[in-house]
Amino acid sequence: MDEEETAGYAEPCAQCAAVDWGLSEEGRFFCKSCHNVIERTKEVMDLTFIQGANRISTLGRKSKTETAGGRHTWMVCEGFQFILMNQADALLRLGVHPHFKDGVLRQLWRLYLQKSRQAYCVNRVRSAKFRVGDADSDSDSAAEASVASASGTDGESNPCSSPSSKGGSDWSGSADSLCYLTPRQRRSHRLLSLKKTLALIHLALVWSREALTLSDLLGLVNCGSVPYVKAHEQLPEQMKLFGKDALLFTAETVPSHRSLHKEAQDLLLFLQLPAFPPISQQTLLHPGPLSLRYLIDANLPGELHRWVCRVAELAGLFHESRQTFHPESQPTLPRYDLQAAALIIVTMKLLFGLDDHTEWELSNNARSTDGEGAQFNLRRWYKLMQTALNRAQQRRDQDTARRQWRAKKPIFMRKKEKWWIMKKKRVAEQLQICFEKLSSQPSGPKDVTTSSFKFCWGEQKGADGPSLHHTLLDGVVGLKDDLLTPHHHSYWHSSLRPCKPRCQNHFTDLKNTLPNSFVWLLELFCFILDVKPSCLYEEVLSVERRVFAPPTDRARLRNRTETRTRHSAQTSEES
Amino acid sequence: MDDLEKELNPREDMENDDDDADDSCDNSSRKEGSSFKLDLIQPICQKTLHENGFHQSVRLCLEYIREAMLHHRWLEAAEYMASYAQILEDRVNLTAQQYKELVWRISTEILHHHPKSTMDDYNVIYERMKHSGFKHYLKISLEHSFHLMLHGQIEAAKQKLSEAESWRHGKETTSQYQMTKLIQAYRSLLDYIIWNEKKSMLSGNDSFESDSQGMQNYYRQASINLKEILSNPGVWDPFILSYVTMLEFKEDQEEALEVLNKYAYDDSFPPNPNAHVFLYQYLKRHDASQKKLKRVLKTLHFLVPSHELMLEYFSLLLQSGSKKDHQKAVEVVLDMLDFACWRSNLDVWKCLQNSIQNLQTGEDWKSFIEEKMAVRKEWWPALHYTKFHAMKDSEENPELLKVKASLISVLCPDRTLKYSVELESCQE
Repeated sequence: MDEEETAGYAEPCAQCAAVDWGLSEEGRFFCKSCHNVIERTKEVMDLTFIQGANRISTLGRKSKTETAGGRHTWMVCEGFQFILMNQADALLRLGVHPHFKDGVLRQLWRLYLQKSRQAYCVNRVRSAKFRVGDADSDSDSAAEASVASASGTDGESNPCSSPSSKGGSDWSGSADSLCYLTPRQRRSHRLLSLKKTLALIHLALVWSREALTLSDLLGLVNCGSVPYVKAHEQLPEQMKLFGKDALLFTAETVPSHRSLHKEAQDLLLFLQLPAFPPISQQTLLHPGPLSLRYLIDANLPGELHRWVCRVAELAGLFHESRQTFHPESQPTLPRYDLQAAALIIVTMKLLFGLDDHTEWELSNNARSTDGEGAQFNLRRWYKLMQTALNRAQQRRDQDTARRQWRAKKPIFMRKKEKWWIMKKKRVAEQLQICFEKLSSQPSGPKDVTTSSFKFCWGEQKGADGPSLHHTLLDGVVGLKDDLLTPHHHSYWHSSLRPCKPRCQNHFTDLKNTLPNSFVWLLELFCFILDVKPSCLYEEVLSVERRVFAPPTDRARLRNRTETRTRHSAQTSEES
Repeated sequence: MDDLEKELNPREDMENDDDDADDSCDNSSRKEGSSFKLDLIQPICQKTLHENGFHQSVRLCLEYIREAMLHHRWLEAAEYMASYAQILEDRVNLTAQQYKELVWRISTEILHHHPKSTMDDYNVIYERMKHSGFKHYLKISLEHSFHLMLHGQIEAAKQKLSEAESWRHGKETTSQYQMTKLIQAYRSLLDYIIWNEKKSMLSGNDSFESDSQGMQNYYRQASINLKEILSNPGVWDPFILSYVTMLEFKEDQEEALEVLNKYAYDDSFPPNPNAHVFLYQYLKRHDASQKKLKRVLKTLHFLVPSHELMLEYFSLLLQSGSKKDHQKAVEVVLDMLDFACWRSNLDVWKCLQNSIQNLQTGEDWKSFIEEKMAVRKEWWPALHYTKFHAMKDSEENPELLKVKASLISVLCPDRTLKYSVELESCQE
């Protein structure tokens, strides 16, 4: 008896009642005593399965069973999950606490999938795609109509019009990228996109109170430490990307600060998250510590920090309730980086005037000594900063110019374009190799360092200049009635009256009327944060609004005229 | 391709929705900045409205390349060029042709000046760019073979041109008809060069086991094509010379004469003084009659009065006995001296002196001279007979001074010129 093959089949034979089975060449069982062949055959693994029958409600990392073509079917959200986890891993490698990924990010991701009905829920967004072998578009459109009418109240399960076939226009690697790109889905803005993964990461970072601000995250994306543009290259081999996946997984631009923040805000509302863990003064995202970080980066004296904190208090931004997201009391996600920079700018305006006269007069009076008891001299600071800024700006532009956007394995939209895309790629690569050999240098940005600080101040080699962190503000503030008061007594600001919500930003119009020092300081912080000057200007205005016209006083402000007003402000601080 | 754009653009719109607000307010400032530049800058360097990160990178890269090239910093340009190569993978096909041409021309320019460039690099670039598009295949082939020719690789150049000649691509072939003609012409020229090389090797060798079959082939290929090329109107100087040389070698005089005559006298060909020069030289080589020679030179005189062959014309005219010819000779020399390039040439002035002396033997010469000088009276003295000329001539060429001075009384009898005054002071 061929024990292994018959696998212990112990039924007696019908004819001779012996239990002596063997396996013929065709795989059929036969009785060795009487050579009676029975129906039973050697069991083979049944690869076919009814699509949708074993649709489980949890999402596994493993890919599905193989299709006839040798590819694995995978869903778009699986692909994005990979990318999200890769991005999170990159952040972990850079030093973020693992709790961010395992505790926070995964939960957020599952919540998102649940809310957008892609997984973890009962009535999933289904696709009629899995009727294999059905190539008739007419019947499909009829089916679509009937399903749509049947699930009228549901509204979300919108089947696709035709299944994936090798030819035709709906050829794509993932199983449901077509569903993803229907106009209805697009309108609902629940689509996954590379921008959304970044927004999720940002929310997770804020929740876990990591020190990375949004501008830091974008900086890491720009220098390539966090995969974004070529993220799809890191997907596993079994996931083949082609067709409509190209629209979803390729990115030719990194989102701007403003758009990513908006995306994060929308996501916050969509996910209906509860109140975030409180951002207290010890958290590095709070204006207190964050402004200190920016002060160090901008080589400003450490003494300014207490003034910044005082301004933050006046603006009502110091308390943790203002800094932490709460569905009722604080429904907007604060822009921590812009806020801190705006506070610093307002403080500088307060102490130095920044109206093209006062600050230079004050710096004329400052004694220019070095070592202990040195005074902070704005002119000297400006000169140091300007040269460093020019250098850094040039380096950034050069790195942008050298950046390589094209992935090694491009995704093809259509089959027929494969050959000419690969041909172009070969030409470009050959050209690149030729010139790399000539210049004996690889292409791409050189010396990519991932540092949170844009400048380096101190005495060591490679520093941008001497550090002014220890200098004192003696020339700017003085003791008056036992309280530290700035010498400069007035404060200027542009019109604080907020425009109608859909009004365009006024910075470009006002730029020529604003003092040069102020504009220069704005541009300095815009370089450090990599945002546009208009965004930062808006934030400065909003801080000023909070300081001078707290929300209860807004009614009074509406009656004022729209010209630049001089406002006297004194801050006092117990020394 | 259109579908691709349609499909990509809605996607881009979705992404750019939120960036609209940022971009629009920034655009005005950017556009201001770019309008300060001169209009010489090509439009591809300006920022377009919805520029994504990829396009921004390549635009900046191009600006850096341009800066480096303008300042002759070739090493830097090569570095940036390595990063610029990704432009060729751009999916949007609108300006692809423009970019390919840009990349081709910039690359070759950098290779020309880079200290470490080799022929291999050139070959790689030319081959790759040639096959990357249809519109410029022929152009790049031609440039490639020129480059090989200039570096002495005649065989390779010929091979490239033969490949290009047999290239066909539907509508493109007909639209680039002229380019094809050029390619044929240069291939024939290369055939001639090879034939010539073999011939010169042969004459040195003096052996009978020459590659006569190969040479015959070259000869046949070259002559057939050249004959065809020369039937088209145009300026074909090097080609016609090579064709005539081949015909002379084969001693086909009639054909040669016919071709040269056609080249010189056919109205459909653009007026070309060189044609007459070639014809004259050919006739001289083959001992043609003076009448024929004079006839050719007459047309040349009409076209280019200041040609150096005019001296030969002059001598031919003087040799004949007729008075008319002698008068014509004077005219020819005067026409030559109208041009500043012959101003300090002693031979020309001596010829003038001779011819006038010749005329003076006859009668009625004064009226003739007057007639000829009538048109020149106002400006000839300024051209030849100023004090400055006198000083210069006395320093450089005293004999010229004498010759010129002696002619003053003949040419400009009624004017007192400083020239003679100087001469008197010199003679003292």
